[in-house]
Amino acid sequence: MTRSIIRPAKPGLVLPRRRLLQGAAAFGAATLGAPFVNRLQAQEAHPLAGQSIQMSILGIAGWLPSSLGVQMSPLFADYAKEQYGYDVSFTFAEAPFADLFQKAATSLATRSQEYNIIISDSQWLGALAQPGWIVQLNDIIAQNPELDIEWYSDIVVDTYMRYPDGSDQLWGLPQEGDTIALFLRQDMLDDPAEQEAFQAAHGMPLPRTFEDYENLTMAEFEKVAAHFNRPDQNLYGTAMQYSRVYDFVSCYLYPFMWSQGGDIWNPETGEVVGILNSDINARAMEQMRDWLRYQPPGATNFGIAEIIDVFTQGRVFSSFQWAAVGLSMITPELEGKVLVAPPPKHGEGEAARRVYTMGGQPWVLNAYNDDAHMRVAIDFLKWWYKPETALEFARRGGNPADAATLNDPGFDAINPWNRAYKYMLTEGRSRDFWHHPKYAEMLAVQQEGFSAFMTGQSDDAMGVLDYIACAQQQILADVGDAPEVPSMCYGTSL
Amino acid sequence: MAALADTAALPPPRRRADSHRGLVFVLLAPVLAFFVVFNTIPLLWLLGLSFHSFSLTSGQPPEFVGFRNYVQLWMGRNNFWGDLQRTFTFVGVGVTIQTLLGVGLGLLFWGSRTMPGRRLALTLLFAPMVLTPVATGTFFRFIYDPNFGALNQILLGLGLPMVDFLGNPRTAFWAVLAVDCWMWTPFMILMTLAALGSVPRAELEAAEIDRLPFRKRFTLVILHHGKFILMLGILLRTIDSFKTLDLIIPMTKGGPGQQTRLVAVELNKQAFESFNMGFSSAYAVYLLLVSIAMTSIFIFVLNLRRRRG
Repeated sequence: MTRSIIRPAKPGLVLPRRRLLQGAAAFGAATLGAPFVNRLQAQEAHPLAGQSIQMSILGIAGWLPSSLGVQMSPLFADYAKEQYGYDVSFTFAEAPFADLFQKAATSLATRSQEYNIIISDSQWLGALAQPGWIVQLNDIIAQNPELDIEWYSDIVVDTYMRYPDGSDQLWGLPQEGDTIALFLRQDMLDDPAEQEAFQAAHGMPLPRTFEDYENLTMAEFEKVAAHFNRPDQNLYGTAMQYSRVYDFVSCYLYPFMWSQGGDIWNPETGEVVGILNSDINARAMEQMRDWLRYQPPGATNFGIAEIIDVFTQGRVFSSFQWAAVGLSMITPELEGKVLVAPPPKHGEGEAARRVYTMGGQPWVLNAYNDDAHMRVAIDFLKWWYKPETALEFARRGGNPADAATLNDPGFDAINPWNRAYKYMLTEGRSRDFWHHPKYAEMLAVQQEGFSAFMTGQSDDAMGVLDYIACAQQQILADVGDAPEVPSMCYGTSL
Repeated sequence: MAALADTAALPPPRRRADSHRGLVFVLLAPVLAFFVVFNTIPLLWLLGLSFHSFSLTSGQPPEFVGFRNYVQLWMGRNNFWGDLQRTFTFVGVGVTIQTLLGVGLGLLFWGSRTMPGRRLALTLLFAPMVLTPVATGTFFRFIYDPNFGALNQILLGLGLPMVDFLGNPRTAFWAVLAVDCWMWTPFMILMTLAALGSVPRAELEAAEIDRLPFRKRFTLVILHHGKFILMLGILLRTIDSFKTLDLIIPMTKGGPGQQTRLVAVELNKQAFESFNMGFSSAYAVYLLLVSIAMTSIFIFVLNLRRRRG
């Protein structure tokens, strides 16, 4: 009996070895080459593949977060080339805060696509959306799931995205989140002699940690500011913004009002009279003016830049400042010497609370962009909100606003101000003000009035509030968004 | 002779007169076109817009509101009368100081023609006038700064207290006015030198020979011949000062409160910050009327000599 050397075929699937090897090789090649093929397919699928596009961004001059958006755009150019197969380059235009809206509006009013992407201020959403100058983003977000992002809190949506307030219309996406934080000289707080002197003078320990300041009230912080207020040594307790320029004094007075239960208008009826000119708000104005005693001479002209100057030059122990300029506040010389904490609460005991003003800016898209520029603008936004881009933005000193980045365990450690920023970005601790198209006009009246009181041109806080409330309601009434002003308004003046 | 008389009696050749008129029209046409396109049409547009409610940010077309914008201004909306009063103070005080200083310094320069370095001194003196007001305003803001400004460092060095020149409502207006005077006094020096140049040398020499005291020489000779050039200088400064905007924006933005808010500052704000095109047009028409009134007064004064003659 001879044994067959050919094994009988087993029942079922039988593959010859050669074919098996061929298949395995093909599978391996396909696996290794899949990303490349997919990318090729993606590039082929992109309608702009092979084209060169020139984009322009309008941003805020001298504003670090805005310039970060600009500085990072070459990274998008690399990404777009690799992912979509088109070349993109960027040009940039900029103007200071107070002039940016004017620059944008005069261009958009002529239906120009001079600026394809604009870094707007949050309060301008209404003024840009109402005439149809910027794109409503609801459909774009629905069509691009990458833009349907979970934000850190609802105030992100209310501040940077939504207009009108309470509606579901979205017009912007956050470029930079921002809140007010308290910058303090940690090295002074850590000085045992200072701690001892403070304890002896006030019978309480000198607040030194983030947690200490989280629980601190303005009355308690006043003791700290007074302790370090030494004009004879050219050192002052703190610095706030009182400048008449743009929204500077308003943003810093609102926390005094809101935190103590005051309000500024009724967004549903447009009424301002009887709401802004309240006893609480009048008292808040007096309180803010009283704080001038702990600030350097000329504080009534202080804006963002002036506060950076006095803090970095060691003229003040502390400063209320936007988290967005943390990089400018903490110079290399001050590294490790600054504590950034939540700003104090207003009021006493259980009733004490803090409601500070939101800062930050959204991206908005020019409605007159042609298809190609609109497509690139959307691609740019999709790239901007990729986790690795958001993280890179934070590493460079920016403040992302998406939940994934802010909830990352390492986020707090990236920058000294990140923890305070995140703390203040929580619902109820910060809020924005009007997004109405008449924002600029209402703001101008208010800045004049608040500045008149803070500089001593007027000592009648309620009189100033009457003037502002009447003027603002008249502005809204003129466009049919508020009832006519009551008779008490006739003849009010600063 | 008769032939000559016949020729003299003939009317001038019509064709020549017509071609001359045609040439005049051709030469004037570019200027007229420029005037119509850049002056008349915008002015009419402005006038039309002033009867409308139109905000650039509303997304709505202009709405005809009749005289509402004018009435609101007349009733003092946005503190119009306060701004106007402040502007008149700024113009009146500023131009007076500039004229007095300008005439005084001009006379000194006129009398120092042999002084070495006179040309250099004059060039340096005229430098503020050629600087852009925005740049001037910006560096004076730094000079006035209470924390880092040079002026306060000097005050401190002299043992004087620090002054917040631009933040204090009592000093801000005068601090801005001082910069305006620093900037524009050289212009009045220039006009004074031009006026002195128009005085006949013989009359000046005769006054010297007669040993007229300086006061009489100034009033009877110099002012008699030079007053019209000086008046022209004052007129130009008044009109220019009435429009002051670019100096104030970088210095105070009209603050503190409304202390340095002149009419041009408010007009700029209404038009290009608030985008209230209708209201700001009415504002501009009011200012135009005020400017026309002021110019008419000056032209009347300038023409007095001819009328008396």
